Amino acid sequence: MPRNETIAELGLDEYGYDFVTEDKPVFKSRKGLDEEIVRQISAHKEEPAWMLEFRLKALEIYESKPMPEWGGDLDQLDLDEIYFYVRPQDRMQHSWEDVPDEIKDTFEKLGIPEAERKVLAGVGAQYESEMVYHSLKEEWEQQGVIFESIEDGLKKYPDLFREYFSTVVPTADNKFAALNSAVWSGGSFVYIPEGVKVEIPLQAYFRVNAEQMGQFERTLIIADEGSEAHYIEGCTAPVYTTDSFHSGVIEIVVKPNARFRYTTIQNWSNNMYNLVTQRALVEEGAYMEWLDGNLGSKLTMKYPSCFLVGEGAHGQILSIAYASDGQHQDTGGKVVHVAPNTTSQITSKSISKGDGRASYRGLLKVYEGATAAKSNVECDALLLSETSRTDTYPYIEIDEETASIGHEATVSKVGDEQLFYLTSRGISQEEAMAMVVRGFIEPIAKQLPLEYAIELNRLVELEMEGSVG
Amino acid sequence: MGNGATSVKIDATAGGAVRVDDPERALAAINGLNEPETLRQARRLALERFRKLPMPSRKSEEWRYTDIANLRLEDFEPAIPGLDGDRPKGSEPGGLDELESVPEPVREVLARSRERSGVWVQVDGVTVYHRLDDDLAERGVVFASISTVARERPDLLEKYLFTSPIPEMEEKLWAAHVALLSEGFVLHVPRGVRLPTPIHTFRCITKPGTLVSTHSLVAVEEGGEATCIDEFMSPDLPETSINLAGAELFGGPEATLHYIALQRFGTGVKHFGLQHVTSQRDSRLAGVNISLGGDLSRADVTSHLEGSGSESEMLALWFGDRTQHFDHHTLQHHAAPSAHSDLLYKGALTDSAHSVFRGLIRVEPEGQLTDAYQTNRNLILSEKASARALPNLEIKADDVRCSHGATVGQVDSNQLFYLMSRGLSRRQAERLLVFGFFDEVLGRIPLEGVRDRIREAIETKIGISTSSLTSA
Repeated sequence: MPRNETIAELGLDEYGYDFVTEDKPVFKSRKGLDEEIVRQISAHKEEPAWMLEFRLKALEIYESKPMPEWGGDLDQLDLDEIYFYVRPQDRMQHSWEDVPDEIKDTFEKLGIPEAERKVLAGVGAQYESEMVYHSLKEEWEQQGVIFESIEDGLKKYPDLFREYFSTVVPTADNKFAALNSAVWSGGSFVYIPEGVKVEIPLQAYFRVNAEQMGQFERTLIIADEGSEAHYIEGCTAPVYTTDSFHSGVIEIVVKPNARFRYTTIQNWSNNMYNLVTQRALVEEGAYMEWLDGNLGSKLTMKYPSCFLVGEGAHGQILSIAYASDGQHQDTGGKVVHVAPNTTSQITSKSISKGDGRASYRGLLKVYEGATAAKSNVECDALLLSETSRTDTYPYIEIDEETASIGHEATVSKVGDEQLFYLTSRGISQEEAMAMVVRGFIEPIAKQLPLEYAIELNRLVELEMEGSVG
Repeated sequence: MGNGATSVKIDATAGGAVRVDDPERALAAINGLNEPETLRQARRLALERFRKLPMPSRKSEEWRYTDIANLRLEDFEPAIPGLDGDRPKGSEPGGLDELESVPEPVREVLARSRERSGVWVQVDGVTVYHRLDDDLAERGVVFASISTVARERPDLLEKYLFTSPIPEMEEKLWAAHVALLSEGFVLHVPRGVRLPTPIHTFRCITKPGTLVSTHSLVAVEEGGEATCIDEFMSPDLPETSINLAGAELFGGPEATLHYIALQRFGTGVKHFGLQHVTSQRDSRLAGVNISLGGDLSRADVTSHLEGSGSESEMLALWFGDRTQHFDHHTLQHHAAPSAHSDLLYKGALTDSAHSVFRGLIRVEPEGQLTDAYQTNRNLILSEKASARALPNLEIKADDVRCSHGATVGQVDSNQLFYLMSRGLSRRQAERLLVFGFFDEVLGRIPLEGVRDRIREAIETKIGISTSSLTSA
């Protein structure tokens, strides 16, 4: 294990969450990936034969696909140096008391237990590669809501699981989706029954903790007809000395007239490669919203997608990216209009600071037959220093005569007049800058539950420290 | 183009002497050309590059929506006058002031207005007509075929010809363009000289199965001013012909240049426009592309803002019908402070026409105080038409104002209803609204005569006459 001294040596100790908890993995696969490791993972999880087959086929596809040449720089990413599976404990925990002290300690630093006791209903806390703690409010159980670790989802609800698993993100979708399909471990399985409205957000905190460990979470969510729910995934990770890698797959099926919102606030440490495939299939009259906040990681490539396959479906993507020194946030969103009268909106806000680079990459596709589809995309970029960079790469593909599509993007710096006004009111330069930035992201921050909005603002403040001058 | 054009007889091209897939013969043919060694050397180098480079494929971002991987340029007959050492008839400087060899449709255009400082006409790669106002020649303006300028003012070619930086995605076509250059013209406007009226050039293709490569080199020195229209035309061809149209436009300090490419080929033509604009300090350059004809029409337009305070205006209109495919690629490259670029590209599509717009604003770290805008608007008028828009930004300086926008939509149904309630057919009303849609761009084109010429061409293309409507 690396020690805190190493972190101090690297000058990374200003990072807000760089505490390291000593962990005791029970089983750790060797570095790199081959068929043997995939078989081990499947055996450890006591999976049915079809899942092992699925994983092995995915491994083949993964190996046959080239690394993507677009987006961020993946040259430094050495997949042979990564542990593809680590499991800290043998069994899942069902009550807080059973959770090991060192893990509790990590959560305490994040303020989770407080939130947990008060408002949080079900917490699937992912420590290393598996869910170690999982609770669900009683009333939801009575409503028939399923909120399990993905492994338990497969064990307890094999038919439901198999019906939807890998239907939204096929294995061959992209290289990293194939990789995840081969080695997935951890993540959530959620089912909201017909007509059930879950008032309090479902939340899953997770952390990556072992050095060089791969994290391949896989989440499958089914929101049945007319249901409503909000799922929150947030993460902060301690800083480590070598590059880490996270490659998740999130699949969501939003059935007719259901409403689902998925929120991610990502604050991985600045050595993390975060390559995630998130996609929702949105059926007739349903509403899907992605709220995607990317603050951490070395490189994030993540484009939450909505496939609007049912008439009148609506997709909404709110994306916020903060790229500071050494970071590249290559994020955005994709909306594919397949059915008539579908509507969508993408709002992206990015901030680049130091030598950070924020790229918006998006796809807006309207198939022929998606009559009267409407979509609007807005991207705003804020540049905070001379060396920072921003890019906008939208793809707009329209095959439908009656579609109406708009895309707009602006790039600007913090106005001298704004800063002058604030500083002339006695506000320090630093605070003035933070205020302008907070104002810039406000349209997205206000969509978040209160705790997250506060946390986001706090993170922005932390990030803004020393950014003036 | 009308019937007259096809009757023009030019027997200048020697049959298939330069086959790029036969390097020995190609080299021999190039070496046998009666032209200065510098040009022959440029051809040889380009030929070598052409043979090494693969054809662009859809795997590259720049060619994602336009598939030319199976287009074998080698299969077309290059139209290079003077192959086998024969000098084409009438190509001697000064001997081209007779209109007899000029195709009828060109004569028609010429007859409509006399406000031109100079005219140059090329048919199937051969120069057939050339004229420059005497007083401009006296004031040092150079306007002539490249082969003439190569003999009389080699210094100009040395300084400007083929000097633009060529992006990777364009290299293959550029290499073919240089190696197989048919002929082109040079317009050089000396310091402080202003052309009172436009230079108007015409390129006509009359033969199927040929590859014509033509070049426009325009350099306006400090404080000079010029307007130049490049018009491309052909009758409908029974088989494919290729047009490679390179353009290099240079604006010196405080120079003003308006360049208009009016592409109205018939069916059968695949057109590739490769335009490079370089702007010096406080210059004002406007590049306009009007794309109406051909089966495939691709334009790569690059604007390098190399001098502080330079301004670049980039405008385009296209109207696609049948199965036409239009692809416009643009780069606004801000490599100097306080420069301004403004792009407005608008296209309307009907039948099964496709269009692609891919634009990039790139601001280098040196480009502080850049103002850069990019707008692409598309009108889709039929079920089978489709549009692709990729407006991109890459910003590496922080004190900039950049924005871009792209829209895809239809004509306004209220406006359509209003016009139809006034007795117009749906088609007429729709086309009239397309004209209104285009007006935003037309209104920004300077010189009424130029505007009128473009309006006429669009009217012919979309089959509606605005003047007849207003007078009716």
